[in-house]
Amino acid sequence: MLWMSVVVDKACTQIWEAWGSGASVTSLKVSPAVYSAVASARPGEIARDYPLMLLGLPLVADDEVATYDPVVVWKERTC
Amino acid sequence: MLTAEENEVLCRVGPGTPMGTVLRRYWTPAFQLGDLPAPDCPPIRVTILGESFVAFRDTNGTVGFLDELCCHRGASLTLGRVEDCGIRCLYHGWKYAVDGTIMETPNLATPTFRERVKHGAYPVREAGGLGWVYLGPPGSEPPFPEFSWASAEPDELAVSEMIMDCNWMQVLEGSIDSSHVAILHLDTLATMGSGPRSVGSFDFAGEPWDLDMPVPGNRQGQGPRPGVWPSDDNAPRIEVENTPFGFHYAAIRDVTGDPGKKFVRVTAFVMPYTALIGGSPGAVIVVPRDDYTCSSIGVFKVPKGAGLTRRATGVDPAVWGPEPANRRIRLPRQDREAMAEGKSFAGFRGGNRIQDAAVQMSSGEMYDRAKEHLVPADLAIIRLRRLLADSVRLVEEGQGPVGRGEGCDFSRITAASQIIDAEQAWQDLVPAHHGTPEPSRKAVAS
Repeated sequence: MLWMSVVVDKACTQIWEAWGSGASVTSLKVSPAVYSAVASARPGEIARDYPLMLLGLPLVADDEVATYDPVVVWKERTC
Repeated sequence: MLTAEENEVLCRVGPGTPMGTVLRRYWTPAFQLGDLPAPDCPPIRVTILGESFVAFRDTNGTVGFLDELCCHRGASLTLGRVEDCGIRCLYHGWKYAVDGTIMETPNLATPTFRERVKHGAYPVREAGGLGWVYLGPPGSEPPFPEFSWASAEPDELAVSEMIMDCNWMQVLEGSIDSSHVAILHLDTLATMGSGPRSVGSFDFAGEPWDLDMPVPGNRQGQGPRPGVWPSDDNAPRIEVENTPFGFHYAAIRDVTGDPGKKFVRVTAFVMPYTALIGGSPGAVIVVPRDDYTCSSIGVFKVPKGAGLTRRATGVDPAVWGPEPANRRIRLPRQDREAMAEGKSFAGFRGGNRIQDAAVQMSSGEMYDRAKEHLVPADLAIIRLRRLLADSVRLVEEGQGPVGRGEGCDFSRITAASQIIDAEQAWQDLVPAHHGTPEPSRKAVAS
């Protein structure tokens, strides 16, 4: 069974860490298995051609990312 | 979000289910002690975790908690006679002691059966106006959660119970959700004369509307309490740290007009049912009755003599249903007129618990979390699910679930609601913190 609660918890923690360091978050890289699970849960959004999003971030499937190690992508804020 | 499969795992609590097995490894508050007021009083039927039991207080004052149906022919022991240190089934007179010992079998003269077999009986502890039971494997009980109010006298406690027609996770998640407080409960804050006066483009047109509502920390009547919610910030920063009992989380808001300060509400979540909420003198405990019904129990320490150990609801009696014991909530009519006139945001009279119940039950009997769109402000809810999911895996591996509080002094677990210096650590406000920040992988720059 895929434990999304673990994936989401780790990703959310990273987002708050990034925000705490003054960065802005841009996307969330997840394993293809996680991406597929989100896609299958949201057929309506897929049908409407909406981007898949998790925790307010666009979701990117990445073969290099392990199932339970999502990666939040961020960039330094510039004034 | 959760997958549909994981949602089922976290929500269903019956015998043999993954979450049901986890919850049976903790002490569970099962009934109000006020329902068993005296030795040999009438027994009560208790439904928790998808099973039915009978609770009774025997002639010596000891509470028994047994499987509901007589082990002879299955009649309900809630119909039984409580007498002479036991409870007797009406059908054929079999009699049971509080520990499940079969004392008498009038239609079976030989003693062999009753000497070798016992009826299902479970350990019971009386504390904080509640009867707590342990339904797990005998001998595997965790430390009993001796909260600070556990030894309070009945006249120092207000215990209330709302039976709600929805899955327990909807109510439990609401109990630890800080970012809804200054929105859904805007009417409450307005009645308290504190906090924001708007949500987005909505502004109050006039004076607070529900002046009779109970407000936190003040059970009856309320003068304005400015300063209780000194912030207009509806997007708090959320920090969560695991503890031996579960986790603490802090909702950190800017203080209106004072950039050198921050307004911190720290909630303690004690696995698997209990939230001690910042600014409130008690706890909210959410216990599943079955997959589609739960009890939301409030236990509040009150000035000595003010306690109401029974039917202290804190809400308009008109919302209570006819059964059982008049505790099942029926939502009052939503006042659309007051909402349209800008007098009320939510339109529900009766205070926070009614407003919470309305939205929690509105998701249906068991919400499918595959459909939701979580945001980072939901971190506490996300962590709750993580701990429950971790517990499911651990128990399936033959280990104990997380947060059973080994070595923890439950009496020191507190919540907090306070303005502090912007540089001060919120952990200073909760002495039993023992935080262990969740390790996370480093984010990577693009």
